Amino acid sequence: MSKMQIPLGPQHPALKEPENFMLVLDGEMILDATVNLGYNHRGVEKAAENRNYIQDIYLIERICGICSHSHVSCYINAVEEIAKVEVPQRAKAIRTIVAELERIHSHLLWLGVAAFELGYDTLFMYTWRDREQVLDCLELLTGNRVHYGINTIGGVRRDITKEQADEILKKIKYLHERTSYYVGVVTEEPTFLARTQNVGKLPKDIALELNAVGPTARASGIEIDVRKDEPYFIYDQLDFKVITYHSEDVFGRAVVRVLEVIESIKIIEQILKNLPEGPISVKVGWKIGPGEAVFRYEAPRGEDIHYVKANGTEYPERVKVRAPTLANFQSLPYCLKNGYLADAVITIAAIDPCMSCTDRAVVYDIKKGKKEIFDWEELRKYSIEFYRKKGVKFS
Amino acid sequence: MSELTKEEEILKEIKDKFSDAVENSIIQRKSRIWIDVSENAKLDIMRYLKEKGYYHLSTITGFDEGEKLGAIYHITNHKIIINLRVRTQKENPILKSVLPVYPSATSYERELEDLFGIKIDGLPEGRNYPLPEGFPKGVHPLRKDVKLEELNKMLNEKCIKEE
Repeated sequence: MSKMQIPLGPQHPALKEPENFMLVLDGEMILDATVNLGYNHRGVEKAAENRNYIQDIYLIERICGICSHSHVSCYINAVEEIAKVEVPQRAKAIRTIVAELERIHSHLLWLGVAAFELGYDTLFMYTWRDREQVLDCLELLTGNRVHYGINTIGGVRRDITKEQADEILKKIKYLHERTSYYVGVVTEEPTFLARTQNVGKLPKDIALELNAVGPTARASGIEIDVRKDEPYFIYDQLDFKVITYHSEDVFGRAVVRVLEVIESIKIIEQILKNLPEGPISVKVGWKIGPGEAVFRYEAPRGEDIHYVKANGTEYPERVKVRAPTLANFQSLPYCLKNGYLADAVITIAAIDPCMSCTDRAVVYDIKKGKKEIFDWEELRKYSIEFYRKKGVKFS
Repeated sequence: MSELTKEEEILKEIKDKFSDAVENSIIQRKSRIWIDVSENAKLDIMRYLKEKGYYHLSTITGFDEGEKLGAIYHITNHKIIINLRVRTQKENPILKSVLPVYPSATSYERELEDLFGIKIDGLPEGRNYPLPEGFPKGVHPLRKDVKLEELNKMLNEKCIKEE
């Protein structure tokens, strides 16, 4: 049989983000793979140079819908280093809580997506239902489900009250139970094992050579985690483990992520039970610098790195962002090679490329040719009305 | 300052071994070393660093200083970040590819080509990244002489023409 080349994407069948994989196939085996990116360049780095430091917080938060706190924290730490700001302990603790809640939400979301790609929709529904608990925690703390806007230069914008802390501890306890159940599912459920073990192999030496980061690297037995290697926030005062696994496949990446959720829960409990007292922010002037700083941060997907150069004005001279997914894309073609076409989607999903969601829908009325934007409440009303007309009774 | 011994050690080793190539260097704080090096010795220094355990190229930051263009290579062993800075002239800017030492650099080097117009010698032909296909040729948006308003105007006009 002759070789065949097929494109996977850019209107991607699996992930809601535009990227293209050119796969060379021999029958069902993938012989070669190339990753093509750049379908959605937004020019954030140029835009950042034309906004002041405070405006940039909100711009950089929108680089990603899932790691929004990660990107801002990384940027803000670099700016604070240049401005020589000493951030209060309580602010650092609150940043850490939001960071770990974000990690839980991201990993549970990933587990759902991975289950969905495997055709295991029950697990997908379960994890996404439970993920709502984390999003509720984030909303309770910051006022937002997705872009939290908690960080500001010199500290955080909202304090945690006793009631909020108690509520979060309650929800976290529920999540701990649920996650323990998922650890069982991931490590024991035969369908999950059959689809993930020995799929998308990334040996340790290749992962080192191609500079893989985050859970992808940790599942290949590389013990790297910026939280331990170069502790920021208050990670040096906390007790947690770096989870590694040595199976070097998709299964390992799943195990690392679910176990990391448990570690994150432990971290949040530790902080909330022993929250430092004091102010939550210090005042910082509009003008920063001159100077430059580079900062690394452990986002849910791995090492995020930002470089900021300040020239003494209100506007940064240069902001450079490298998200973890770009680092992991370098080793992805290797993972895809010599695998089956049917496993390509879960192999790609296993590095957890970013995707974003929104709670709004645009409805086109074809007959009237007009479009309406529904918010959540309206959409809910509309759906209840729709089913009532069909005779469904709501009690 | 005893807490910076590791940083001082590695910097001294580089200075001793590549005395001609190191133009400027500073230990900014714990875990941060900045070294300005010459383009010719860049790859040798990187090879040496990689042997010493600095295997991880986090990313490459391009910059435009007005008279010169350049790049910073953020290399780490996960404890210390060594930032190697090289510069090139603005007329026909060219840098050597670091792919022989760091094979993960492809995307980062394409960024330098697209966003700063720095030719990377030794980078295999490939698709644009990160700019889309059909982006105006010869426009490198992160150069300082490209103003945001002009860029917006140019791209809007292009969209209208294509429609």
